[in-house]
Amino acid sequence: MRKYLFILMVLVSASLLRAETITCSGSTTVLPIAQAAAEAFMDKYPHLNVSVRGGGSGVGIAALQNGTAQIANSSRPIKNKELVQARSKGVQPTAYAIAYDGIAMVVHPSNKIDNISLQQILDIYTGKINNWRQLGGSDQSIVVISRDVASGTFEVFNEKALNGAKVEASAQMLASNNAVISAVSTTPGAIGYAGLGYVNDNVRVVKVEGIRPSKATVADFSYPLARKLYMYTNGKATGNVAAFLGFIQGESGQKIVEECGFISLQ
Amino acid sequence: MRKLIVSVSVLLLLCSMLQGVETKLSGEFWSRWSMEYAQNPATGEDEVLKNFLALERGYLGLETKISDDIKSRFTVDIFSTDSVSNGAGLKLKYAYLDFNNLLPVTDMTLTAGLQKVYFGTLYDWDYSLIGKAPADEYKLTSSADYGISAHGYLPKGWGEYALGLYNGEGYKKYGSNLKDNTQFAYLANIRMIPFAGLTLGGSVLLNSVERENLLSDDSVNPKYQDQLMLDGLAHYINGPIDICLEYLSKKVDHASSYSADDYQAWGIMIFPKLSLKNILGPDLSLLARYDIWDESDRDDNGKYLLNAITAGLQYDFSALSLQLNGTKKSYDEDNSAPAYADNQKDAVEIMAQVKWHFSNTIN
Repeated sequence: MRKYLFILMVLVSASLLRAETITCSGSTTVLPIAQAAAEAFMDKYPHLNVSVRGGGSGVGIAALQNGTAQIANSSRPIKNKELVQARSKGVQPTAYAIAYDGIAMVVHPSNKIDNISLQQILDIYTGKINNWRQLGGSDQSIVVISRDVASGTFEVFNEKALNGAKVEASAQMLASNNAVISAVSTTPGAIGYAGLGYVNDNVRVVKVEGIRPSKATVADFSYPLARKLYMYTNGKATGNVAAFLGFIQGESGQKIVEECGFISLQ
Repeated sequence: MRKLIVSVSVLLLLCSMLQGVETKLSGEFWSRWSMEYAQNPATGEDEVLKNFLALERGYLGLETKISDDIKSRFTVDIFSTDSVSNGAGLKLKYAYLDFNNLLPVTDMTLTAGLQKVYFGTLYDWDYSLIGKAPADEYKLTSSADYGISAHGYLPKGWGEYALGLYNGEGYKKYGSNLKDNTQFAYLANIRMIPFAGLTLGGSVLLNSVERENLLSDDSVNPKYQDQLMLDGLAHYINGPIDICLEYLSKKVDHASSYSADDYQAWGIMIFPKLSLKNILGPDLSLLARYDIWDESDRDDNGKYLLNAITAGLQYDFSALSLQLNGTKKSYDEDNSAPAYADNQKDAVEIMAQVKWHFSNTIN
């Protein structure tokens, strides 16, 4: 009997030790916030380990469904199909908003275009407009750069700007926000889009429908491509996971959100 | 036929690669050892009936994304068999097109072609135990069939549904093998999730076998059957515990002159599963299955009442699964035909299997 009790204690201890790690997976847009917040959180609570992985919003939600992550980072709301799959596996995805973000439309710094309408974005990304001259710019072919279809940023962009239309076949579909910014910064005729937190001086942000993405226009959703960024947990967060989410939503975490280039909830 | 299937597969792959459409190649292979033994009724000694290794399944799949709203899937099954001289069989398993947003219904997909049959646990059976889904095992319907289906998700994560029209003969039959059956099979399936972890579902399938009147002389066909298949499902998952209960029934009505042959069969299956991953670390699961299948209402030599109990282990790592199962089948003496009496068909089957899979998007 003692032997069995000992084995039971070892197993219980092992499972308790495992609970000291918080696992996050998902959106590459949310990744810098999650990484910076994890580092600050671990500084504050050295006995806890926060593991953060990218992969895309869909990958994070799948990891939450399969129990391989406690937190799914997502740059879009969960889809109904994902919700059914999760609930059928005993997982109730519960959303925690952690930041606001605007999907910034970016062009090469040499491009003089200052404003673009949603209809023009749709026409560019579906191939109806293929030269900047058609928008009052120079006579230069447009190089269309997009995120890959597995990305949450693509899905929000596809819904808000393209109304679900298919991106033209010749568009470059890139796997990360950084790759988009890098490609646009080195291609004079390029147009792309990325989360605000990734925008740098190597690209130029254009207004959409006359509105520039800013703290105010994103937070009040007057910017047409504004969105919320989320962390999903299985049911209401408890224990260390709740502490981590509370940290991100709190003053210190929201400061990190701003430092990463995104818009604070506060 | 096999040459044709292989040729079509290669052609599809080449076309999709040349066109630059998003194409996913996938494969899943099951290598299995099976050993069955039973008591010899004459001697009372246990004797080995089967003991062999085989490639039970070798699925090769090709999925192409033709557009944002249209996707195709083509899957062949390569398997060990002794029905052909070279020892390898080839079956066409799936060949269909998925259309999203074709109808103005949110989250609905229309599928046309050789596809899944959305009945009971059949369409999402995950083979965590080595064995078929009950509806397939007890021959209520085939796992794939030619047809058209509309399937999708209920709003706010409440569940899913499917409506289908099929040949009703299964994926192995087409053309002259359809046995003069000109009637389609009709299917309705729903699953509801009242709260996370609990799924309640039900399926109805109306089917028929052969024509009531024979083609040659208009006489009544004794083999004609109207079939009504029902399925009820309750599935509960909470952390490491997973338990599924399925009820199946099959009502068979013959042509009026042969109504004495009508019968109703039913069964209940329970599948508990316990994951030890959170306790031990490795992804190890303990599994079991209990089946009762009562076909004793039949008035012929095929009637039987089966009890089967299975215990098993599954260990998943990387893209591999290792499985070990033992199943004991016993037939009720009083409710089974003479062919099943005196433990003649009672048997124990032990199987071990390694499954591996891959998946790669090439464009």
